[in-house]
Amino acid sequence: MKFTCNQNLPERAIHIALKGPDGGCQRGDGSGCFIASNVPTTPGDMTERGCTYAGCRGVVGGPVKDAIQLTHGPIGCAFFSWGYRPHLADSDFHIKYTFVSDMNETNIVFGGEKKLLQCIIEASREFPDARAVFIYNTCSTALIGDDGRDVAKQAEELIGKPVVFFECEGFRGVSQSMGHHVGNETIFRQLVGSVEPEGDFSRSINIIGDYNIKNDLRTFEYLFEAVGLKILTRFTGNVSVDELKIMHKAPLNVVHCQRSATYIADMMRDKYGTPYINVTLWGIKNMSQALRDTAAFFGLEAQAEEVIERELARIQPGLDYYRQRLQGKTVFIYQGGPRVWHWIELLRELGMETMTAATTFGHDDDYQKIFRQLKEGALVVDNPNGPEIEEILRERRPDLFISGNKEKYVAYKMGVPFVNGHTYDTGPYAGFVGMVNFARDIDKALHAPIWKTLRSRARPAPVAHHTSHGFEEVE
Amino acid sequence: MSVITTQDRAVAINPTRSCAPIGAMLANYGIHGAITINHGSQGCATYPRHQMARHFREPVEVATSSLTEKTTVYGGKSNLLAALKNIWERYHPTMIMVCSTCLSETIGDDIPGIIDEFLEQHPEVTIPILPVKTPSYIGNHTTGFDNFLKEIANNLPDRRKKKGETNGKINMIPGWVNPGDICELKHILREMGLHGLWITDYSETLDGGYYEPRPHFARGGTTVEELRSSSKSLATIALQRYIGGEAARIYERRYGVPAHVLTMPIGLANTDAFVDTLVEITDHVIPEALQVERARLLDALVDTHMFTTGLRVALYGDPDLLEGLVGLVAEMGMTPAYVLTAADTMPWAEHMVELTEELGVESEIILKGDLHELHKRIKAHPVDLLIGHSKGKFIADAEGIPLLRVGFPVEDRFGYHRRSIVGYNGSTALVDEITNLIFERRASSIVSNTLVERGVEGPSYVPISLPNGNGKGI
Repeated sequence: MKFTCNQNLPERAIHIALKGPDGGCQRGDGSGCFIASNVPTTPGDMTERGCTYAGCRGVVGGPVKDAIQLTHGPIGCAFFSWGYRPHLADSDFHIKYTFVSDMNETNIVFGGEKKLLQCIIEASREFPDARAVFIYNTCSTALIGDDGRDVAKQAEELIGKPVVFFECEGFRGVSQSMGHHVGNETIFRQLVGSVEPEGDFSRSINIIGDYNIKNDLRTFEYLFEAVGLKILTRFTGNVSVDELKIMHKAPLNVVHCQRSATYIADMMRDKYGTPYINVTLWGIKNMSQALRDTAAFFGLEAQAEEVIERELARIQPGLDYYRQRLQGKTVFIYQGGPRVWHWIELLRELGMETMTAATTFGHDDDYQKIFRQLKEGALVVDNPNGPEIEEILRERRPDLFISGNKEKYVAYKMGVPFVNGHTYDTGPYAGFVGMVNFARDIDKALHAPIWKTLRSRARPAPVAHHTSHGFEEVE
Repeated sequence: MSVITTQDRAVAINPTRSCAPIGAMLANYGIHGAITINHGSQGCATYPRHQMARHFREPVEVATSSLTEKTTVYGGKSNLLAALKNIWERYHPTMIMVCSTCLSETIGDDIPGIIDEFLEQHPEVTIPILPVKTPSYIGNHTTGFDNFLKEIANNLPDRRKKKGETNGKINMIPGWVNPGDICELKHILREMGLHGLWITDYSETLDGGYYEPRPHFARGGTTVEELRSSSKSLATIALQRYIGGEAARIYERRYGVPAHVLTMPIGLANTDAFVDTLVEITDHVIPEALQVERARLLDALVDTHMFTTGLRVALYGDPDLLEGLVGLVAEMGMTPAYVLTAADTMPWAEHMVELTEELGVESEIILKGDLHELHKRIKAHPVDLLIGHSKGKFIADAEGIPLLRVGFPVEDRFGYHRRSIVGYNGSTALVDEITNLIFERRASSIVSNTLVERGVEGPSYVPISLPNGNGKGI
């Protein structure tokens, strides 16, 4: 597909590809190379990408429920990342509170190290029950050369609890993906293995790369427990600092989000020899496979089969109902990264086909998985921008668009049914029961009577020239 | 007597404010067909977009020059040049505003110089390209809005103006308000038979309708041509001192357009002052319709006073909004016990002390404050009502106090951007809503139209000096 909006932006061609008849990738510039990804954004192209700070503070560090979430920088970074992502836990300190060193001009000129140290001391005095202080560095404090690592070390001695310094300044990397990496690496280096607990961990696993969006954990934690396994540490949805410290004791890591969290699984394999398996905790086939693979590691295959059979029977009536309502619909999925390939199979199980797939920060391995699963003729776009998204919605007319909050209102203004895949409309969507929620939301989006009203009753914008005191007709 | 305190803590915990670029982006949304390029990290565009989408429930587009490590070392010039070119070629906007960030300011990019270079390379580009300084470490979100307005006032208006030449309009600078507020202000001007030139007007661009096909640019907004003619207006009225007040004075100094800087017209006295100013500028009489609306507000204040008199209220937010709200709060017989802002503006605080004294209420004016500080104050000495943006919901939930949502952002309720809190109508709506919040919490469920104390009904507190006070509440 040639994008009209990219007439003057030839550099976008290598980020757009079709799945060819031979199953290969046909790139927009005519070459047979694979789709280009994880490279800098074209300036001014209206990208949807965020920054490294967002990936670290918002995604990986933010869900830790008993850490003081302290941004070292100006106020905006802390304000915008506060309390909008529903990474829930069994307590809400991490969502209700945000802390910031509030750098002003004087601090920028004379350095912010002293102020940062004071902030850490004051914050931990105000909230003595917090188990650690997480500090996220920003563009300005990095540029003026504040040695946050050193401040963190000093502070740790003064307050007697871990002070974790994330070097996640916004300009690093090409997208929020770098922030995930920094988050993994820092938590691993500073927390994991810092305590050696007694106890029997032989039937324990860590779930890596689930952030408990709208309580996703509730849809699969009990399944693993029913198989006979205990989740020791969840990285990082509904997790405490103390649980992060002992995660090296689990004999197996189960990796769900393979973009934002494979890093820590790799590091744990290298340092502690902990093996990991890749799973998808969405959809029937994938969730079943996840339980089977995990159980096989512990020799609990029979229990897994029992759980799967019981759960599938439970959701079957719901699935049957929705499948006949969703059959044959086409989907455009645009997510951060892995959810795209996690969901192609799930949507197929509901009778729907993904005809366009796009990610904000996917890497090569994400696109490999996407291409493998898509049907011939499907379109793939890396790091799509505003005009491209509008053109896809207008020209390819998907029956459903699955994306995030920013894109939602574009879809609505164009009359395209939409489900929020980032933070869910009414989640959770994971596991077996979550899939029925997902199907219910899709059904609601597709079959809401408003679309019929729009088709039959919407009118064009009045031909008028807007002036500040009203509307004047123009020729 | 009212007192001023300045919060003395290095760490900000639950701030009430955000940072400068979002103010400039919001103001730029009020110009038809204008596009913002944020010169900095991608997050500096994506975060404010997300925040605005949550408040307005509209598509919000902001371009970014996508600075990375390499550009941080070598300067962001090539990225900004590319961004300007791409935005021009793909959108053909009517104007481009380039706002800076911590990053581009700290590395010292010369944004006006880069824009000049772009215009030299592209003689076909004749639209205005306006640089606005918005590093996050100076001021807050209001600073970005105000800086944008100053740049508009300095750079866009036509300098050639014949003696006595006028466009017959009034420059209206509403400041940081909601689309609904702009609609209400337009209504007042229309009723007065006046034409406003809105600097700027996002009443439709950020509260738009559904049309098929979707227009290329969102409908609405002040046009660049109108802004060019703003030097020929009869007068300028700024309705917020710290957002647009300085821009109004620039119009006076540079173009001889008289400036009127007023308090945000919330409540009876503040709206009267606004309407009186319109009369003074134009000699138009106050029309019947506005007289009726004014009388209706008075009537609402009378009807509700037994439910509101003596209540203690905590307010937080931007200085201009607080100043307007305190007027209405006092008119309703309530005490603005805590008035907290994140700004560090002593002249404002001193003005607030004078104002509260004139109004006969006692307040603690808190500068450089955050919501954690306010929460501690409320825990120590409870209030009956919180007034401010959505982030106060954590205090409201913890303490069981109703929250009246005003200002920005209101992200946990629908349609607040469409409401108005200004003018006689907006004030009447606020009086109703405040009374209803008190009712919801304290009204008897059996007998309508009256309040019944339920159990230990919390923090209501009437100072002993009040004639009907027993110190225990109404």
